[in-house]
This record gives sequence, structure tokens and C-alpha cells, in this order.
Amino acid sequence: MTKRFQLRVEKALNDEHLGKALGHARDGFVVKRQNAIDAFPEFEQCREQAAKIRAHTLAHLDDYLLQYVEKVEALGGQVHWAPTAADARQIILDICAAEKAKVVTKGKSMVSEEVGLNPALEEAGYELVETDLGEYIIQLAHEPPSHIIAPAVHKTREQITELFHQHHQALGYTEKVTSIPGLVNEARQVLRQQFLSADVGITGANFLIAENGAGVIVTNEGNGDLTMSLPRVHIAITGIEKIVPTLDDVSVLLRVLGRSATGQSMTSYTTFFAGPRRDEDADGPEAFHVVLVDNGRSQMLADPEFHDMLRCIRCGACLNHCPVYGSIGGHAYGWVYPGPMGSILTARYQGLDHEPDLPNACTLNGHCAEVCPVKIPLSELMRGLRRHQNAQGMQARPARWGLGLWAALAQRPRLYRMISRIAAGTMARAGKQGVLRSWPLAGGWFAGGRDLPKPQGKTFMDVWKKRNG
Amino acid sequence: MAENSARDRILADIRAALRTTPADKPPPPAAIARPSFSDNDRFRAFVQRLEAVAGTWEEVAKAADVPKAVAAYAAQHELEKQVAVAPALAHLDWDAAGLKIDTQAPAPARQLGLTEAVCAVAETGTLVLSSSADHPTTLNFLPEYHLVVMHKDSLVTHLEDAWQLMRQHHQVWPRTVNLVTGPSRTADVEQTIQLGAHGPRSLHVLIVA
Ligand code: SF4
Repeated sequence: MTKRFQLRVEKALNDEHLGKALGHARDGFVVKRQNAIDAFPEFEQCREQAAKIRAHTLAHLDDYLLQYVEKVEALGGQVHWAPTAADARQIILDICAAEKAKVVTKGKSMVSEEVGLNPALEEAGYELVETDLGEYIIQLAHEPPSHIIAPAVHKTREQITELFHQHHQALGYTEKVTSIPGLVNEARQVLRQQFLSADVGITGANFLIAENGAGVIVTNEGNGDLTMSLPRVHIAITGIEKIVPTLDDVSVLLRVLGRSATGQSMTSYTTFFAGPRRDEDADGPEAFHVVLVDNGRSQMLADPEFHDMLRCIRCGACLNHCPVYGSIGGHAYGWVYPGPMGSILTARYQGLDHEPDLPNACTLNGHCAEVCPVKIPLSELMRGLRRHQNAQGMQARPARWGLGLWAALAQRPRLYRMISRIAAGTMARAGKQGVLRSWPLAGGWFAGGRDLPKPQGKTFMDVWKKRNG
Repeated sequence: MAENSARDRILADIRAALRTTPADKPPPPAAIARPSFSDNDRFRAFVQRLEAVAGTWEEVAKAADVPKAVAAYAAQHELEKQVAVAPALAHLDWDAAGLKIDTQAPAPARQLGLTEAVCAVAETGTLVLSSSADHPTTLNFLPEYHLVVMHKDSLVTHLEDAWQLMRQHHQVWPRTVNLVTGPSRTADVEQTIQLGAHGPRSLHVLIVA
């Protein structure tokens, strides 16, 4: 396990494309969020209230879920409960089979990634098309998303140009398009055909509202809307924790979600969908299904130490403000959810030993918890994971010692940079034998009490600065 | 797994989980935190926010002037004279403005689509559109140029005010309610904002005084 994480980290740090792409992302997201919050003096109050709404809802989750379900059924929608990932996949495969679907379009949904929906649908022979531009790009690249709201954030324009050129030639797009407007336009044209020919459209849901049985999706492209309104059948798949009591509550969450995610007070499209097309409607799907996924959530709810994590509204702010994520990108995390929120979700959903290095890669600088719009104490949760790992003897003693020191230094950036630069230089000179033992400064990265590779001459911070400077 | 037993299992797990947390469950929070601005600059706030998200607007004196304004917009952007129009607006005099209209949904591949908002929200520069026989939802997304008729007296301050209106007007929540805040956009290529990803490239609001 440790070996794999380390290899992915090394690969990420040496990937020039990745460095360039992550540089764009970090600056963009961080600055935009700050500007949006500066322009909204009530943000802190709103954040406080958002956290309370989420806590209240979770404490009454069964009641609100049943209220929502009752409303959906009254509107003619069908509700499916999926205790596990396998159940979720099977429910959707069964619906697609019953509908004799051929083409299935999909809006962006992290839960569908979590349950492994795409491979299941493709294996069953459906033509599956991701319609969010970022998701479409990584579908062409056969890669998982690397960010929860910007799945292709790790790809540069050059890489996207190559992917489109490779895949769209057969469709008659023989010219190599390199400009951003050109690329977006080409994808628009290619995907337009898919929207119109799909039998089933699958989306996620940012929220489900108990008051009126509506689901909410928040997008900028409009792809989610075309996905849910053009095909005969709309399936929304989402976690049971996405429930919100009322429309007023959803307003508060929307106020913090957009600003935290992309710095927008509202995304271009916020859509409320409820049940299938009515007799009097001019358009919309004939059938509507919602798949409520548990897959470990009720277990997390039972855990007093970690149940706060269920407040997460998937804004991505904690990723965008994390120096570790900013350096290695999402793929190094090894499961669908990256960054601080991902480290915790991965350990909770996949088990502590799935990616044992994740909590330890954290510098505990606390930025993630500071920016979290629902006030999840991410650093504390991360410390909790480490405690559990220690209790289970999952780390060797030297690494633990190194970790404490490293974490302490990480909070004093200047000293940390100085010491680690000296250390890297010294060891590069001394490292004839190629491997080094017990380098305390790297404890967080290369935990596990194993031999360390010889430093390449640059420190983590040097690489990071060069990239972002 | 049978559907009912799956439901019962999840609900039982949730209930078991909730017993382990403190008995004093948090009550719903009372105060609503929202941006404050005085009511008299509500219109200015709305159009400023609309412009900030790349939306454009113009005022028309009365609903009957809408076709003329649409024709002028089409001419200015060199668009075809066939327009996809929400059935709710079909009764206007389109012939006189020199335009032909389609009202069926989903809208055919027209360059220009015209729909009508239930209300608009000053807080965010948002238009609230709700689906029905007279208001197809796909019309908000398929054409490249999206024009929206909005009545000035339907402008509300905050999102919560819009919900209050919706609750009054609709016993049952409509199939689709679209909150539209600017034209379609993406930042998926190098974090650079590009308008017109899958939905409209332009959003123009005709504000009826
Ligand atoms: S943990 Fe907080 S900051 Fe991170 S994605 Fe979830 S809500 Fe956003």
C-alpha cells in the first residue's frame, strides 16, 4: 500500500503537465473564492448556519428521508434504496435493461464514481457518454476524475487537444483544434448529438429537499439539464446524506456552496427536478428514478468521532487550499475522493488500511478546516485517523517520531523550508548509496519505517514554488 | 435485494446510528443569513449582478413590444428570423415584427429561444423559470441565444422570497424549476472561463416595465 502511494506521489511530482495544470487551478480557485467572500460580509454567519442545518438534518435523517420519499412517490417518481455499491449498480442496470436503453448520457456525479457505475454500464454493453466537459475529457483519456468539481483539472490544453484530435477524427473533425473556444465548441457539437439520442440520462444531486420532493443540481454548463430533460428516463443517484429539510435551508447552503467551490454567488444553472413529466408538461422524461445510496454512510453516522464528515457538501474548497493536493493532484490519493475530505472518506469507506499514508501526508496546516463552508473540523478528523492507525500499530516508530517533527515544522514555513532544503542538499551529496534511512523531515510522506529514496536535489516546497510562482 | 428490505435495512441502520449520538438532537437553526442591501436599490443590484455573470438586458415598455425587441436583437446578432418561443408568448404579434416562431418542445435547433421568468432574484441576478405546458424547460438550454422576458414587478430580493412566491403559485412543485444566472459556461480547459459550453452562449433579459 505504502509503496503504491509513494510511487504515485513521485510520479505526480515529476509530471510536468500535472504541475502546470495544478498551478492554474490553485490560483484560480483560491483567488476566486476569496473575492467572493470579501464581497459577502455575511459569509461567516451564513457558514455557521449552513453547518447547523447540516447537523440538524443528519440528526433527523430518517424522518427527512421519509418525507422526501413520500413527496417523490406522490409525484410519480420511483425511489430505490441501495445499501451497498453493488446494489446501486444493479438497480441502475435493471432500469436500463427494462427500458431497453442503448445510449446512456451522464451528468457529473461523484457518487456514481464511488459505486463504480461507469464500468458496470460499459461492461453491460451500453454506450455511455459523460456530458460534463471535464468528465468527457477524462472519459476519453480513460482516467478517473482528479478533483471533485473539476475532474479534468490535471489536464493541460495540449493534452486535451490531442485527446479530441484522436477521438473526434472519426466523426469528421479532422482539423486539430488548439484554442480554448475551439475545443469547447467541438465538444459542444459532438455531445449535442448524444444528448438528443440518449434513452436514459443519469445525474447526481447536490441536494434533496424534504419539503417538496425536489432534487437539486448545480452546474455551469447546462449539460446536467440536457441530460435530465431530453431522454425518456431520468435516474438521479445520490447519497442518503444529501437531504435538506426546506427550500429556505437549501438557499443557505447554495450561498456557501458556489462561493466556496468556484467563487460564484450562484452557478449558471441551479435546477430543481421533481418526479417525471406531468400530463400538462411540454417536455421532460416519462420516468423518474432516484437511487439513494448508503454504502457506508449510516455506519459513519454511528461513529461519534467521524459523523461530522457527513455534513460535506462536496464544494472542493478543502482540496483547493491543500498544499499536498496542490502538489500531487487527485490521482495520487488512490480513490474517488481526493484531498482532505478524500483522505477521511477513503479511510472511512474503504478501511483504515486502504491508503494508510493519506492521513499522514497531511501537514496539519489547518487551511482545509478554515475554508470548509460547513465547518467540518478536517484537521481534527485527520488526527483521529492517525490515532487509530497508531493504535492499530500501522506505523513503525521512527516514522511516527518523524511525523511529529515534520508536522511541527510545517507550521513554521520559513524554518521548514530552510531545514528541508539543507537536508535535501546534504543528503543528495551524501547519498551515494542511493537510499537513506530515517529522514525525519519526510516522515509524513514516506511513512512506514522503510528505506527512503535519495532526494532528487529539490525539496517538496521548491518544486511547489517553482510550479506556482 | 428486494426493494422494501433494502429500505428497511438502511432506515434501521440510520436509526441505530442516531441512537448513539446525544439525545438532544440539534433543532433547526432559526436565523437566515443572507446578503443585505436596501430595497430601493434592488433593481440596480439585480442588473449589476446579471451583468457580472455576462448577462445583458434592456427595458421594454410593455409586453406587446417584446417581438420588436426580439427582432432587433436577432438583426443585431445576424440570427435567423425563425425563433423558438415558449407557448406562453405565442399570442404576441410576431408577424408584425417580421419573425416566424416554433412553439413545440424540445425546441428544434433554433439559434434563438425566448422564454418567460416567473420572477427574478436581486441577490444573485438570477431568473427563476418553471416548467409547464406553456414553458418547456429544454427551451432554456437548446438555443445558442437565450432571451428571457421578465416582468419588473416580479423582482424579489432574496432566494427565500422566490420560494414564497413559488409556494403561493404552485400547490405541487413543478417538474422542473430552473434558476438561470448568466449564460452556460465551463472552466474545464485550463480553468479559463468559456461561455456556451452545452447551453446558450448568450443570455439577454427583456425587462417589461
Ligand atoms: S469537507 Fe468541507 S471544504 Fe471539503 S469538500 Fe466537503 S464541504 Fe467542501
